[in-house]
Amino acid sequence: MKVLMVDKDKCTGCHQCELWCGTEIGSTSKELAKAIHETPQPVPRVYVEGKPFALQCRHCEEAPCLDACPNGTMRRDPETGLVYVNEPTCIACWMCVMVCPFGIIDPSPSLKVAVKCDRCRNMGYPICAEICPTGALSLAERKDYRKKKF
Amino acid sequence: MEFIQKKTADNAVEHFLPKAADKGTKLAWDRFEGQLPECGFCESGLSCRDCLQGPCISNPFRDTNKMGVCGKDKDVLTAQSLLRLVLKGTMATLDQVSDFTEGVASGAVKPNDKAETTKVLSQIDTLLKYGGAGMKAAFPKGMMAAWDAAGIVPEGVAKDLFKASQKTEGGIADVDEILARTLKAALLGTFARKLQGGLKKAVFGGGAEEIEVNMGVLNKDTATILLCGRFSPVLKVKIAEAAAKKKVAVMGVCTDPLLPPYTFAPVTTYGSQELPLLTGAVDLIVVGDQFVNPSLAAIAEENKVEAVPAETLKGQSPEVLAKTIVDKAVAAFSLRRSRVRDIPEAKETALMGLSASDLNVQKIALALNKGTIKGIALLMGTNNVKFTQDLPFVTLAQEFLKADILCISAGDASVSLAKYGFLNPRQSAKHCGKGVAELLRASGKDLPAVLDLGLAENGGVAEFLFALAAAAKKSIRELPILACFAEANRSAEAGEALSLVAMGVSTYCWPCLPVTGSPTTMKALSKLCRLQFGAELIIHTDKKMEPLAKAGLIMKVFNRAADPSVNDHPWTDWKK
Repeated sequence: MKVLMVDKDKCTGCHQCELWCGTEIGSTSKELAKAIHETPQPVPRVYVEGKPFALQCRHCEEAPCLDACPNGTMRRDPETGLVYVNEPTCIACWMCVMVCPFGIIDPSPSLKVAVKCDRCRNMGYPICAEICPTGALSLAERKDYRKKKF
Repeated sequence: MEFIQKKTADNAVEHFLPKAADKGTKLAWDRFEGQLPECGFCESGLSCRDCLQGPCISNPFRDTNKMGVCGKDKDVLTAQSLLRLVLKGTMATLDQVSDFTEGVASGAVKPNDKAETTKVLSQIDTLLKYGGAGMKAAFPKGMMAAWDAAGIVPEGVAKDLFKASQKTEGGIADVDEILARTLKAALLGTFARKLQGGLKKAVFGGGAEEIEVNMGVLNKDTATILLCGRFSPVLKVKIAEAAAKKKVAVMGVCTDPLLPPYTFAPVTTYGSQELPLLTGAVDLIVVGDQFVNPSLAAIAEENKVEAVPAETLKGQSPEVLAKTIVDKAVAAFSLRRSRVRDIPEAKETALMGLSASDLNVQKIALALNKGTIKGIALLMGTNNVKFTQDLPFVTLAQEFLKADILCISAGDASVSLAKYGFLNPRQSAKHCGKGVAELLRASGKDLPAVLDLGLAENGGVAEFLFALAAAAKKSIRELPILACFAEANRSAEAGEALSLVAMGVSTYCWPCLPVTGSPTTMKALSKLCRLQFGAELIIHTDKKMEPLAKAGLIMKVFNRAADPSVNDHPWTDWKK
């Protein structure tokens, strides 16, 4: 399973991943200049907060959000192993928000759905990794990723 | 992400692209692709580096960092981004004026009209110290009254530039005030351009000239000096004088091609300024700052061409520097004899440097009144690597001329258009629709399809607009004139665009100016311009819009079928 790898030494905290995620994934217009004006405000699925480190869903193998979801809205793609929100069935109970150890599930009060990174599972490559100016974000097999020592 | 699909419309440039790639020479297009995606915060005007507590951004998608450390919100940040750009643009113009006045005042050149030169020099001095109050007579009354009402009549460098620049330092100035200061700074540039044009005329004389453009003008058998960018006209003349004695050719890129009695054939336009060095037919380049890519230094070295800066901290007198430059070029030519000179067969004749007095404004006003022509398009600006080089200009001119819209151009936009024959008087029939062709014929002179009003920094466009408005007995805002910066690039162009709006000409600007991060700022700018000047700065955010679509968009306004943004269009013949 491929996950997003974050190289903390390369991340400069420029927030470009947030900006592009918000535009490409979170907005309806898919164009920055228009997305800025959208209401409700587009929600990026990646977070750069406090430290220069881009954090997004880790697609945990024992995902607490999957267990906490009362109606099967939070699902795992059997082929890719990616965890995603089936938006039409979300009841906005925010159980997943409560249990996520990383705090990366955003309770969107205006959209009434839980918003989280699905690693751009319907796109060729995650947008954040594609646009990261320093290459701090990249796509790597989880196995390889775990072998690395930080 | 938008990679450039087609880099240029110019075949001469295209000829060198694979050669540069083979040699491993990185050009502006390669570097642009390396920059993608460009920073979205900076692009939208949502970033700030004004103090060392930052850099700060206003994140449009997060509530935690909507404001900078000092409290600048997205509205202030965007307004200040525009202000910063315009300040730099106006300073670019003032730098040229200061170089020119210094050269003239030193007595290095003998002015054609001494009395007029003294008068303009003193006017420039007054403008820089006290502003434009003394220039009221040079601008239409109504226009000055509107500027006065908005509080944006320039008051000199200290009050317009120093004060405005302090708005980025702090304080509680709101968006409206920052925008008004921005316009004021832009107008100082307009006033300075007008005076610089006057000074050029007084010192060197004027008049349109037929010259040749594009890389085909380069020579195989003479030493060639290339003047790159804007720098002191006095130094340029001295170089030309010294070069004439030694039979050295002097040409230019992004520099004023006309400095009577000398002409400097434009070898190419801004976007491809690095390529003449790859021809092998340039023996030395003299480099200013404005409009010059710093990459020229490395590419010149790679191609064994010496690059001489037009000014250094410990400057030499123009005569001495010019002589050194020419001697070096002659020596370089003999050393470079064995090098292949690859000169593409791309050459066009262009009539450049027309002025309002060369054009029959009465007839143009009459044609507008009768509807023979639907309007006037001002094509301005340089090249921008974000667009296929020259294609926006060419497409707009082609479409406008066919639809009987008179096209006026200035500065580098003219050179872009000249490369495709739009400034060749013998080709005007090929490009023009019936109405424009009739008007050009009626002027009694052999005029090209697109009329060049000289370098933008010489204020020819403003002079033309004033003359036309006087002939039509209307204010500029009431005339169907639109300006288009189809490939806007330099900060000076942002200032020019704003001052055209302040004169009452609605102006399109591609790419977007850095105000798109705040709807409030965009609305305030629009409201201010609409109420005070009856014109608007029109910003389209669609990055992928094709040049033909842009032409269609503008033509709708010329056809009175669509208003750029609001309903109360001031054109007096607006049919709603």
